[in-house]
Amino acid sequence: MTTVTLEPAAIDRTAVNQFLILEARLQDEHRYDDWEALWADEDTLYWVPMREDTDPRCEVSYIYDNRSRLASRIRQLNTGARHSQAPQSRLRRLISNLEIDQADDGITVHSNFILLESRRKLLTTWGGRTTHLLTPDGDSFRIKRKTVLLVNSDEAIGNLAFLV
Amino acid sequence: MMATALRVDQAIDYRYLVQDGRLHGSLYTSPEIFAQEMEEIFHRGWSFVAHDSEIPNPGDFVVRRVGTQSLIALRGKDGIVRVFYNRCPHRGATLCQTTSGHRSRITCPYHAWTFALDGRLIGLPDEGAYPDDFSKGDAGLMPVARMDSYGGFIFVNLIPNALSLREHLGHATELIDALIGLSPTGRIQLTAGWMKHKMRSNWKMIVENQVDGYHAPMVHGSLIAANRTFATVRDRKPTSPTRVRDFGMGHTDIDHASDYRAAGDRLFRWTGGIEPERLPGYVKSMNDAYGPEDARRRLIEGPPHSMLFPNISLAEMNIMVIEPVSPELSIQYTTPVFLEGADDLNARTLRRCEGAMGPAGFLIADDAEIGELTQMGVANLEPEWIILSRGLGKEEVLPNGVKLAGLMDETSQRGFWNHYREVMAASQEGAR
Repeated sequence: MTTVTLEPAAIDRTAVNQFLILEARLQDEHRYDDWEALWADEDTLYWVPMREDTDPRCEVSYIYDNRSRLASRIRQLNTGARHSQAPQSRLRRLISNLEIDQADDGITVHSNFILLESRRKLLTTWGGRTTHLLTPDGDSFRIKRKTVLLVNSDEAIGNLAFLV
Repeated sequence: MMATALRVDQAIDYRYLVQDGRLHGSLYTSPEIFAQEMEEIFHRGWSFVAHDSEIPNPGDFVVRRVGTQSLIALRGKDGIVRVFYNRCPHRGATLCQTTSGHRSRITCPYHAWTFALDGRLIGLPDEGAYPDDFSKGDAGLMPVARMDSYGGFIFVNLIPNALSLREHLGHATELIDALIGLSPTGRIQLTAGWMKHKMRSNWKMIVENQVDGYHAPMVHGSLIAANRTFATVRDRKPTSPTRVRDFGMGHTDIDHASDYRAAGDRLFRWTGGIEPERLPGYVKSMNDAYGPEDARRRLIEGPPHSMLFPNISLAEMNIMVIEPVSPELSIQYTTPVFLEGADDLNARTLRRCEGAMGPAGFLIADDAEIGELTQMGVANLEPEWIILSRGLGKEEVLPNGVKLAGLMDETSQRGFWNHYREVMAASQEGAR
């Protein structure tokens, strides 16, 4: 972000903030179906790139889920037998530093996060910058696109089988 | 010149620890064994370091770890790839901090000693202050003792041993040929970048799992239940026609082509079953390159699913490289294989790699979890021995020495361990 823009009055900043907090809690508590229901029905992208300014058409990403693959991810977690999340990680994340912009096709929200993961004897700190593209849906939103750039995306990372 | 390495003088009886059909648990946990492996297997043997396509232009470089050593693979202005230790010959500073990049010359951050892309020292501040017998010609970047390549795969040997790369690869050249032979030009491109997956297990557990035909229905049961394509593309039953193979020299594979051939003449089962009509450009260029009959065979049989001793797996349309960090920690690198002249397939290969592989992948995250559980398990001292005898003595031995066994037999793991035992025991017996 190189420019500072005044947020248009039409965007309900509180509603956006509440939506991201709800999404974070559903992820932390492994409420897979409820989280999936936050997504739009089609033309979505859930993307965890390996570096900034990458071209996902020719470079590999950690996650590059279209709507159908996102559904597969949720189905696999819902079996309860995905070993990398059985047992599930204990998760809690903080979301902050929201910057909200009006986009042509919805509302773009940039935010930072810190996520604590406790699994077995390890406490792992994850962190990064998330960009959501949200579309209004009644008095809330649906997710069209979510990009998560981890601060350590170019280092070796452990299992990322929970929802980030 | 030899790489410096931790010398361990304690004799370890590898012929006792690695037996036919059972392994001692300490092989996965002992720091002394780990240190000896780094020297005897990774430094004294041939290890994969980089692929030619990763550094296509003069000045392109990648930094890779082989054993305990950080190496720079760098393409010179003459187009030749050289591999140097990532250490300034002056006072020892690390030269390249990033894992890849492009330089017109290499300049040390400490005192600005500057090296040409072929390693020659070409400049240093206040050179006249050195004694008369100082020569820039003696202070260039230190190359590795030996390097060689096959099919674009570049291997290094840090402490010279008796074998050539071809002798080390043996029958494994056929596996590389099978992979690059899926390209109409015979060339692959590893240009998509590498996923880096931290795995809390010994590197040899990753080797074993790469060619394990026994675990899939259990470890990957959640994916089989969730994804119909994955559930149906292969026969994973004990009666499957798929063979595992031991090629000698520690190289092994799961020969899925035997399953694909047995299922008839359908092309592209190795892509997850895509219809040939969706890849018209690729099919045509394969027909043009190899003739319809041979092209058809290649597109039925697909890529190898193999583990090349000690650190590179041709994992179907992915390359996976294993980097040991400590007895309990490894990093697995994964990149999709792009076939030169197959753009319509490559886009699909990239998305399949992301779906299956790496820390968030539907397959490999669960393999990493099982590896971690196994590492935790073998830390317990009893029952001391790991059982690895499935199918022992029932292998079919071909005239060329290659051993074949059933999909779920542990012949592939024993193939790795037999060679491991010979390499490690020779180091203790002074026979190398």
